Amino acid sequence: MDDLAQWLEEGYPQSVRTAYLILGNRADAEDAVQEAFLRAWKFRDAIAKETSVRPWLYRVVVNTCNSKLRQEIPRRERHDPEHDLDATLADNDTTDRFAATSDVTRALKDLPVHLRVVVVLRYYAELNEREIAIAIGRKPGTVKSRLHEARRRLADHPALRDSAPDPNSEEVSG
Amino acid sequence: MTMIDEAVLVSALKETADAFDVSSEAAQRIVDQMREDEQAPVAGVTRIIRQPGRARHMFMGVAALVVALAVGVPLAGHESAKPRTIVHGAAAKLPPRTTSAGTPLSETTLSGRGFVSTNSKTIQGTSASNSTTSEKIESTGTIAVTVASGRVQSAFNKLSSLAGRDHGFVDSSQAAMGSRAHGSFSSGTIVLEVPQASFKLLVAQVQEIGHTTSVVTSSNDVTSQYVDLQARIDALKVSLNQYLKIMTRATSISGILAVQNQINQIQSQIEQDQGQLNVLNHETTYANLTVNVATPGHHTASTSRSGLNKAWHDSVSGFVAGFEWLVRLAGPVLFVLLVLGTLYMLGMLAWRNIRRRRI
Repeated sequence: MDDLAQWLEEGYPQSVRTAYLILGNRADAEDAVQEAFLRAWKFRDAIAKETSVRPWLYRVVVNTCNSKLRQEIPRRERHDPEHDLDATLADNDTTDRFAATSDVTRALKDLPVHLRVVVVLRYYAELNEREIAIAIGRKPGTVKSRLHEARRRLADHPALRDSAPDPNSEEVSG
Repeated sequence: MTMIDEAVLVSALKETADAFDVSSEAAQRIVDQMREDEQAPVAGVTRIIRQPGRARHMFMGVAALVVALAVGVPLAGHESAKPRTIVHGAAAKLPPRTTSAGTPLSETTLSGRGFVSTNSKTIQGTSASNSTTSEKIESTGTIAVTVASGRVQSAFNKLSSLAGRDHGFVDSSQAAMGSRAHGSFSSGTIVLEVPQASFKLLVAQVQEIGHTTSVVTSSNDVTSQYVDLQARIDALKVSLNQYLKIMTRATSISGILAVQNQINQIQSQIEQDQGQLNVLNHETTYANLTVNVATPGHHTASTSRSGLNKAWHDSVSGFVAGFEWLVRLAGPVLFVLLVLGTLYMLGMLAWRNIRRRRI
């Protein structure tokens, strides 16, 4: 169990950031991860039986995030915009690189939650499809199709439509 | 179909997520808190309630079930406390019950469709008198008899006349139609009371009514109890007479009240003992014989069985009883669930309001 405690300590920053990308608010992300870690600790006996601990812990985090998105956040009257994803982006530089980042993040925020989760787990948490399947409790085939759909939607997003590479176009080398 | 470039996606997500610092102290604080919670003793129920998700729901479900059972079982038990014999088919007819003088004795109660119950404690026209012999014996017995199909009623008639001939009477009778019987009784129970002297003769005669499948008789000597009660009553009567004499000499009101109180207590005790003596008298005067009559393939509840046959019938009876119990329980359970559901919803609404204010 000391291994789990160690993992929780080491994995805390990345878990918070993953939750932040899913929820879109830093304070919510910290709340969600704290709640998720407490859950994980309570069910640590079940975790010990799992062959792969990392996706299982992400599953707890994702479930907590989903729970917050479904039950708590929509009913909230007061909101803390300071820690919103949009506010963070606005604080950054307005160079081209950050502008591109900002576009991607805004497009990500417009994705439905079930697609946003797989994108974040795949491209930020760097889980493979099998691990994502464990983390979201679906089959790997579902993960694959969701990733495909998410990438297509991101490319179709107005903010990113111009920057997406066209597979039909050929690079002309001079 | 256009797809977003994965490298752009990875880079953008990392830059966005890494835009702020995450304190590692927070993680350490959480882990410390978890370890502290683990060391702190938590009561069993409290721990279960704190469990998130399915475990908590299961606990709530079990709690609701326990409440439902606590409410439902007494209600079901209250209803099932009334023994009934259900007669399927048309309104049932009972064999006429008569005293030894041949006059009708019993009352017949028809409740609903085909429910038959008779009961009578009246003794008329018998020549039996209270036993005054020194030996007081109470005898009881149960006989199971199988008769040909459609002959249950005539068997009842014969048993009634046997009891009358031996200066006894029919205490109670029940008859029921089975699912395969049409227009006639398939089984029944009749309780006969005859003078002790005629008991053995009656047992022998009843066995000739049909094919006897079981005979159980028992006798109990209650002479000592009878003598004790009688002696106690005599002693109390002597005391009563003495107090009555004292009463005539009492002059003060407080004295009269004190003596009157004693007299009341003694009279009450005499009445209680006399009641017990009367019961003993009746039980030792009349022997009680329960006769279960059934056609082949049917049985009465008290028919003696053994081995696998008994186990099978017990199993079927248990299943039917359990199902009936569940049906009876359904009403109260639904009511309790409705109440609990309403309370749960109200609680959830209140909790959400509280949380909304906190955030």
